[in-house]
Amino acid sequence: MYELLAIILKFISIVFGGILAGFIGSLTGLGGGTVLVPLLSIFYGVPIVFATGASLISTIATSAGSASAYTKEKIANIKIGVGLEVATTIGAVVGSLLTVYLDHHALTWLIYVIFGIVLLGSLVPAVKRGQSELPPHTRPDWTTRIFELSGKYHDARLKKDVNYNGIRWWLGEIIMFFAGTVSGLLGIGSGALKVLGMDWAMNLPMKVTTTTSNFMIGITAATGSSIYWYSGYIQIFIAAATAIGVVIGAYFGAKALVKITNKDIRWIFLAILSFLGVEMIIRGFVTDNIFFIVPLIQFSISIVIAVVFISVLYVHNLRRLKSVEAL
Amino acid sequence: MRHFDVYRIISASLRTGVILSMASIISGIVIIMVKGGADGYTLAQIASYSRSQTLYSSLIPLNNLFTGMYQVDGAFYVAFGLWVLIFTPITVVVIALISFIETKNRLYIALSSCVLFVLFFAMLVVPHFLS
Repeated sequence: MYELLAIILKFISIVFGGILAGFIGSLTGLGGGTVLVPLLSIFYGVPIVFATGASLISTIATSAGSASAYTKEKIANIKIGVGLEVATTIGAVVGSLLTVYLDHHALTWLIYVIFGIVLLGSLVPAVKRGQSELPPHTRPDWTTRIFELSGKYHDARLKKDVNYNGIRWWLGEIIMFFAGTVSGLLGIGSGALKVLGMDWAMNLPMKVTTTTSNFMIGITAATGSSIYWYSGYIQIFIAAATAIGVVIGAYFGAKALVKITNKDIRWIFLAILSFLGVEMIIRGFVTDNIFFIVPLIQFSISIVIAVVFISVLYVHNLRRLKSVEAL
Repeated sequence: MRHFDVYRIISASLRTGVILSMASIISGIVIIMVKGGADGYTLAQIASYSRSQTLYSSLIPLNNLFTGMYQVDGAFYVAFGLWVLIFTPITVVVIALISFIETKNRLYIALSSCVLFVLFFAMLVVPHFLS
């Protein structure tokens, strides 16, 4: 009886971790997996491959859950999504096989380190998110016509119909291949890279980018998940708990995002994420005994580096905003 | 004139998939807790994080998925829920493919078939190399 209670509590504690990850993930726009993997591997002591496995499953759940709400608004572009999925699914196969390789060769510390670097790297575009709604006008190129990258949607906030032309389909495909690889390797949706591919490379409006990326993330994660399944990286107890938790957390995160008027609150979460990023890198080296640091000192180092990192981003962002206002 | 609204069908199938999968996962966990184990593993083993002791995906025989569910074994309900989740986004590609076939869009018929090919390659071909 005592044991059963302890295990139920353990399950609930993982669900709670999932809720937290889903909440922060949807509030910062980085997705639940980005928070879940460090949370599970650093604070719950879950082996990294189980953490990425649970995360990949949870990523499908959140992507499907929120995409079902978004697609009704008809903003997501299914043609662009399916076209780019060719590259992300191939990338996901490569990425998840890479994880299997690293795991078989006792190189899992590399997964921690790459995860940390990707996490810190995706904070930079996350900071800029939501500032320019519409892309600069550019002329359609040959891929616009061949791949039918033009579209139209109704923007409720701007109160007008927005017409857009996607360009440089090939460049989008190249970036999406890497997004898929990162997704399969680290068990995350890699939404930041997907947004980069569509926003920066293909010059699509932010709304189209985020909704289409959300709908693509599930398909990419499904590809990686099946390889994870056969490699034994999905621990059913953990995956069940996180899938439930992340869905609940993402739901409340999306609700909160609409209500939060003070955008500075996002900085607190971005700071937490940068701490997790640095911590993952250090943890990678420590788990493989490349060097040893007492956990307390390890946390202190992570906090200091994270504070410096986020301050630099904050100051940089303030300056940029000021120069925009000056114009 | 379109025969069906792709967006609405995609949205509905995604929601159905998530609800079905969550229901199956939750009932699986409840069964595991009530029965004190699943698939020959004790509750303590199932809740363990140790890779040498715990029950993880590749140890669950998918060939016995439906027999396992018939025998009310919680592990198979969770496994079923997880696979429903994995298949949910795939149905979206299938629906998109059908809509492209209907509009006779050759390029996008090819591209969505390509995506489905990679997906099934990952599910059916790659596992053979892993074992």
